[in-house]
Parts: sequence; structure tokens; C-alpha cells
Amino acid sequence: MAKKVLNVEDDPDIRMFVTTVLEEHGYIPIMAKDGEEGAKKVKDEKPDLIILDILMPKESGIKMYHELKKEPSLKDIPVVMLSGVSKRTFLRSQAALTEFGDETVPEPEAYLEKPVEAEDLAETLKKILG
Amino acid sequence: MKITTMLFVSEFEELWFDALQSLMGLRKAGLNHVVFLHVIPRERVAMRRGTGYLKQEELKLREIADIRFIDWAETLFEEGMEVGAHIAIGNVVPKILSVAEIEKIDLIVTARIKKGKFGEIFLGSETSDLLRRTEKPVLLYNYQSQAGKVGENPFERLLLALDWSVSSEKVLDFVLAMKEAVKRVEIIHVLSEKQVGKMSKMEAHKVERENKKRLDEVCDTFVQQRFDARPHLYIGDTEEQIQRGAAEHRATMIVLGTRQATAWKEKWSGSISHSLAEKSELPLLIVPAGGK
Repeated sequence: MAKKVLNVEDDPDIRMFVTTVLEEHGYIPIMAKDGEEGAKKVKDEKPDLIILDILMPKESGIKMYHELKKEPSLKDIPVVMLSGVSKRTFLRSQAALTEFGDETVPEPEAYLEKPVEAEDLAETLKKILG
Repeated sequence: MKITTMLFVSEFEELWFDALQSLMGLRKAGLNHVVFLHVIPRERVAMRRGTGYLKQEELKLREIADIRFIDWAETLFEEGMEVGAHIAIGNVVPKILSVAEIEKIDLIVTARIKKGKFGEIFLGSETSDLLRRTEKPVLLYNYQSQAGKVGENPFERLLLALDWSVSSEKVLDFVLAMKEAVKRVEIIHVLSEKQVGKMSKMEAHKVERENKKRLDEVCDTFVQQRFDARPHLYIGDTEEQIQRGAAEHRATMIVLGTRQATAWKEKWSGSISHSLAEKSELPLLIVPAGGK
């Protein structure tokens, strides 16, 4: 059975690019245009993997990731970060949230900085989902 | 009226990252979420004879804004803040209003928004338009004044201009909620020279005494909340005296209320807040009467 991949991304051009890559490799794409919609779709759709942007309207990928990894029923869904924000900043921001009393969360399964090649994205998904 | 989410509108000409950083004192008062908005004017990318819609130009301008916002956001994310961004094409005021609604904004920060001379003569500036239409407090942040950079901490010394209206009460609530970010408050009320001039000496003294008493009461409220606060009564032209009071007490920001009025009504009857919005070199925080 084809696996479901949720892409949380505010840029319509990148959503289109990711959708194309997902469909070409036999995955079922699910789209969300901001962190708030993304968080809702994770609960409703229970995807097999999430591709997550960071700087978005309503709720950032930093916050969404942290919330996701704290939720016992969702924390095992693998996450591929795909963003213009550097990995160093992402890790520091997660550490900063911990400093403010929140619990520590693990690193994401993969971190891809934009722009990403279609082959690199596909290969990353294949490594994680098999 | 706590400020937890702030909308920072930047055209990248007047408000830069150092202007944003100078507002981070608000974190002490509860700010934990900053939303960036950049609006690309429609005329920059609109259809032109022979070239059509300038799609490439739009992509370029979006990319420039995106790179700038990512750079700013990285610093804030690393400090544990929540950050969002909107890049839009169109008219700036409707976009500000719509993002303020979507993101549940507590404070809008923008530089004075200019529009063509013709529009300004007949309708007032975009800034006046924003002040008329929003129910959210607006900080007009003239970070780079003609005299150079305005203070590093604009919340250090506030001048509160009160006219005893409903909007003045909103101003008090708003400033009291910013306690941790504010060092000192100068509270001012201006008696109209025209009104006082028509009164007998006895009547004038009575009015002065009543207003001083009200100022003292407000001041006591601030002192009870551990603010450093001082009351001041001025007589004269309201706008001039507010500016004078700000200079005399070395205020870093003027705070006042505003009543929402139509463009034409405001044009004919005048509005202190809108007039100061056009002229003041100091940052100006305007709290609408209908503000939540």
C-alpha cells in the first residue's frame, strides 16, 4: 500500500515541486499551507512521514516539530525538515525551547536545506520509508 | 491587553532588524511571537504594455524578502521565540488588517506608510487609513529620524497623553500591561487654551485643580503598580503641548488613544493622533478606543 507523506509548506511553488516528487515515487501527497493546518492534518491523516518547512504563517515548523515530538501518539512519525533556515538554527531553537522549561525532543530524521534537488529528496524519503 | 504577538511590517527601507531588536524589551512584558509582513506594491509587478504581468520580478522580490526574513527569524528562533512571515502583493493597509486578524496580533508595528501626493491631500496618508480602520494598537516607529537613530529602548520613558476619553482608559490598561518593559511614565493632560481663555480666573483655577486631581489619581495607579510615574498639566494647543512635553521630559515614545472617524470627518475636524502620526519624530503608540 502506498505511503502517505504530509508536506507542510507555505510556498505554493515548493508544494507543487514536492507533490510532483512524491507522486513520481509512488507516495500519496497530502498538503498543508501552514503549521496550524499541518498540525491538524497530522492528527486527521496520520501520515507515514512529514516534510516540514520552518518559516510559515500561523505556526512555525519549529513549534510544530516540538509539539509533534512531545505527543506520544505522533512522536514516532519521521520528519524531514526542508527549509531555508539552517540546521544549526533549528537545533539551537529546539534547545532554546528546552531552556524555557519544555522537554527535550530528538533531532529530525533528516534535514534538507533549500533549494533541494528532486533526486536528493526522493533518496532521503526512500532511506526512511524503505 | 498583554502583548504576546507583534506584527512587524517592513518595507526594508525604514524598518530594519536593528529596529526590531530595539523592541525586544517587550519580551519582559510577555512578547513571544513576532510575525513579519512585507507587501510588494502591485504596481511593481502589474501588467504593462508589451511585457504583461512581471512574474520574474515578482519571484525576485519575493525571494529578496524571504531571504531577509529568514535571516531575521533565525536570530529570534535561536532566542526561543515563535516567528511567522507573510509576503504579499497588493495594497499595504488591507494586507496589514488581514494578517493582524489571521495571526491574532496584539500590536502592529510599522513605519509611516506613504502614498502619492494626490491621495494624501484628499484622503490623508496610508497611515491615517490604517489608524481609521484597525482596532489593534499601532506603533508608528520612526526608527531613523532626521536627527539620526531614535533611542535603543523606545519603551524606556513613555509620555502618556490623556484626554479622559474611553480611548485614554484603553491607553492606561495597555501601558499597565507593559509594566516589565517600561522604566518611567510621564502622564500629561493638555487643557485647551481657547476653553480656558473664555473662563473667569476662578473657573479656570477650578478646572486646573480638577484635572490635576485626575492626573494624580492616574499617577497613583501607576505608582501602586511600581512604575516610576509623574503627572504634568499643560495649557495650549494640544498637539504642540504634547510635542513640547515629550521634549521637556526626554520621552522615548508618545502614547495616546484615538477614536475611529471617517476620512472626511477627520480631515475637517482634525485628529491629534493622526496629525502626530504624520509629524512626530518620536515613536508613537496609538491605542484605538475599540481596541481589544
